[in-house]
Amino acid sequence: MKFSYNWLRDLVDQLDTPPGELAQLITIKTAESEGVEPHGEDHVIEIDNKSLTHRPDLWGHYGMAREVAAILGRKLVDPVKPAEFPGSAPVRVSIEDHALCPRYSALVFENVTVRPSPEWLQQRLEAVGLNPINNIVDVTNYVLAEIAQPMHAFDAAKLQGDEIIVRSARPGETIKALNDESYTLDPSNLVIADPAGPVAIAGIIGGADSAISNSTTRIVLESANFNASSVRKTSSRLRLRTDASMRFEKAQDPVNTIRGLERAFALLQEVSPGIRLVGGLADNYRPLPVPPPVVLPLDWLDRKLGRAISGEQVRAILESLEFRVEEIAPRVFSVFVPSWRVTKDVSIKEDLVEEVGRMIGYDSIPPVAPLTPARVPPASPEREFHHRVRQMAAAQGFTEVHNYSFISEEMARVFSVDVAAHVQVSNPIVSDQNLLRTSLLPGIWKNINDNARHFDHFRLFEIGRAIHPDREVPRFTAAMFSKDEDVAGLFELKRLAECLLPGVSVRPAEATQSYEHPRRTGDVLHGETNVGRLFEFHPKMIEGGRASVLDLDLTRLLQFQPTPERYQPLRRFPESAFDLSVVANPRTLIADVQAALEKLAGDTLLSIVFLREFALADEARSLSYRLTLGAPDRTLSADEVGLVRSRIIDGMRSAGYELRL
Amino acid sequence: MSPEQIISELHTASLAALEQATTLDALEAIRVDALGRKGKLAEVSKTFGKLAPEERARVGKLLNTVKQDLETRLDQRKDALASVERDARLESEWVDLTAPAPGIRPGSLHPITQVQRELEELFVSLGFAIMDGPEVETEHYNFDALNIPADHPARDAQDTFWLKDGRLLRTHTSPVQIRALEKFGPPLKMIAPGRVFRNEEVDASHEHTFYQLEGMMVDRDVSVAHLLYFMKTLLSAIFHRDVTVRLRPGFFPFVEPGFELDIQCLICGGKGCPVCKHSGWVELLPCGLVNPAVLRAGGVDPEQWNGFAFGLGLTRLAMMRYGIDDIRLFAGGDLRFLRQF
Repeated sequence: MKFSYNWLRDLVDQLDTPPGELAQLITIKTAESEGVEPHGEDHVIEIDNKSLTHRPDLWGHYGMAREVAAILGRKLVDPVKPAEFPGSAPVRVSIEDHALCPRYSALVFENVTVRPSPEWLQQRLEAVGLNPINNIVDVTNYVLAEIAQPMHAFDAAKLQGDEIIVRSARPGETIKALNDESYTLDPSNLVIADPAGPVAIAGIIGGADSAISNSTTRIVLESANFNASSVRKTSSRLRLRTDASMRFEKAQDPVNTIRGLERAFALLQEVSPGIRLVGGLADNYRPLPVPPPVVLPLDWLDRKLGRAISGEQVRAILESLEFRVEEIAPRVFSVFVPSWRVTKDVSIKEDLVEEVGRMIGYDSIPPVAPLTPARVPPASPEREFHHRVRQMAAAQGFTEVHNYSFISEEMARVFSVDVAAHVQVSNPIVSDQNLLRTSLLPGIWKNINDNARHFDHFRLFEIGRAIHPDREVPRFTAAMFSKDEDVAGLFELKRLAECLLPGVSVRPAEATQSYEHPRRTGDVLHGETNVGRLFEFHPKMIEGGRASVLDLDLTRLLQFQPTPERYQPLRRFPESAFDLSVVANPRTLIADVQAALEKLAGDTLLSIVFLREFALADEARSLSYRLTLGAPDRTLSADEVGLVRSRIIDGMRSAGYELRL
Repeated sequence: MSPEQIISELHTASLAALEQATTLDALEAIRVDALGRKGKLAEVSKTFGKLAPEERARVGKLLNTVKQDLETRLDQRKDALASVERDARLESEWVDLTAPAPGIRPGSLHPITQVQRELEELFVSLGFAIMDGPEVETEHYNFDALNIPADHPARDAQDTFWLKDGRLLRTHTSPVQIRALEKFGPPLKMIAPGRVFRNEEVDASHEHTFYQLEGMMVDRDVSVAHLLYFMKTLLSAIFHRDVTVRLRPGFFPFVEPGFELDIQCLICGGKGCPVCKHSGWVELLPCGLVNPAVLRAGGVDPEQWNGFAFGLGLTRLAMMRYGIDDIRLFAGGDLRFLRQF
């Protein structure tokens, strides 16, 4: 919103603060200034629209002038001179639903001369970014910019009959607007109509057919109030934002329609000499609800601000902003809110804290440490665990990445997830980024191929949420890339899995996905529970190297984290160890042989460790293990150890294994 | 020759040989030759039987003296030789310490993680709990409960990703305010860092995915003065120096009164420079006293309790701290960038 400094000077008595300084004061006390630009002999202060969303009154110069007057302690000068419009109205206004149009006021003028506006008026409009069109339209825009009351002038000769109807559009009804675009409407859109059809989209734009032209001699001047949310909906559905709609959607003051007409009446007499009012005021409205005053206990106000302020000062501030103040009990005010602050802005005592706080200046409040009891806050074990995982991964050379939560349908297919299993975005940034990721793999895959252009080897990981329709699962996905053709990555990642969750095992996958290496893919298990996947990417997926991935469910990982239990006393009796080498078929699993040995060893087995393997003839492998035996209460004799050893050897032989002794 | 002469000559010869010896083996040979059980001194002592008793005592004494001297000299010589040999071995054990050390180097944590972690630790030390909320939110938690009803213009400011099932991607971390109030009730001091989404075109300074840190304190009689204290403490810790802050009116439906908090420009100290657009102040975070409607939505009686809330842009803070001028780098996954942290 652009404010003309000269315009503000008209409305604030003896305003002599320079524009730059004024903009700073407005920023501190009212709304954020985005800068001051010279404009001819004027200066334009640009105020951030976002900081005005709750202040319908600040969409006109008069509202801002009231703030400036209050800030500087000057008198506010009202540009509106009260006028009387006696006599019967020449048009009848009917309103279908007063909830959508709380008030519609109109005047009719004849003997109108349409011509360019005087220079001063054009300059004012240009300063605030409005294009001068002709004297009639310019007056409506001037009133809009001055007191935030949008108005519209119809060429009365182009209207059918003498009835103005405010109603919902009929399904499929069309209107050609002043911007030469045609709009097809539906019943959610409010229109101004004559008996023949719509002549304006209520609160947004007028129709081209009834527009003011050089031949216009008689006009209907509309000054109405429309429901904020209805205007907003229609404006966003039609993708049509106008100076009028921007104001109405902030919830304008219905009292203001008459002020608009009064101001326009004075201006029209100046810019269209000889103009004559036809009849009196047409004014259709529902009784305006009078909100109850806000009770403001001054002790409460002091506690909220954290600083004491005298009753006189509070009263002075509120009255400078045209609130009416009554003291209903000692140090308790009853505050009556002016009509232009009621619609949207001020209804509870907290709102008055802001009025007083900003005017005394928040810089007058000294920072104070709160007196609260010392209390240990609730723990967040999940977050702590995720951070431990991060630290461990980083310590092992993995660098953390962040990827987007959006993926394409194409990517879902690459990673073998049904498109229908994804949460879908209705309005994606790019049409193909319309799914929420159910896995971190697509992002990690992209990271691998992107970084392979710059590095021969690298490790990276992400912690992020996989989003399913019914839950969000935090996942840890780590990857290693190497230009060399080896499998080192897989075992580095397996080691990482073992570090993150002691006791995990990896089991070759029974079925693999198309993006996985068919012989280098396994499930990561804790006991029988699947906690993730370890795999090498199918070589067709990776350019110029090999890449492996560890993909874990962090919820499960946290659930199975070992908690330190009671310690085990150190062993008092020596242990005995012996090695065994088992001849295995090419694809016999080290873990399976180990499990068989373990089962045969019995309860004196303390530990079993795989030592090494080496290749034998015919692709057979020799697998060597070291078994350590011991008893808690004595030293095992050589005979006892020998017995266990022979039991294992016999057992393995009868299970079909050959041993190398 | 008399036995004394023989002993003396042996003594002299052995000492000479000792001086000549360059290896431990040679020393051992000399020792065996002179002092061994069948050595030359032992040979001499065999002739003592022929001597008169007084002479025998004298010669025997001389023999012992020589023996001791030779043993001492042998040991000294042995030590000297051993040290030479050890020195030679150590000399041969030279390694090139400028060679690179093998093994993997630690990776880096994402810059946003690092900033977030630092703030989490800071807030925990101030007694705040760390909370989490879902990234997929309902309209209720993201808007309605935060006093942003449908068709409220404030929704314009937060371009929303809507989901086909009617839910949305949270546009801010503020929904966690409501979830935390529902779960724990007052009094409560909490922060909620996390990923948020806005439907915005991406360029060097705009991202559709970024990180925020929500903070809230609800207690009895929480005031603007308390908010100022926390913000000043927090920001001084973040920037590792005393900062000057100011509050000015800002409109956010979930707080009343609402503020924009500015800090005095750290580059120019408030004198005005390009970073602060010559105003001396940099806009840093929105904050305010929690709107009673929000407390009620969280099941808290606003007549009994009140509080303050603030929202900190973690992504923006990381950009300020490291001078990062392109926001897209954060989600770019480029290790050339990420390894710098």
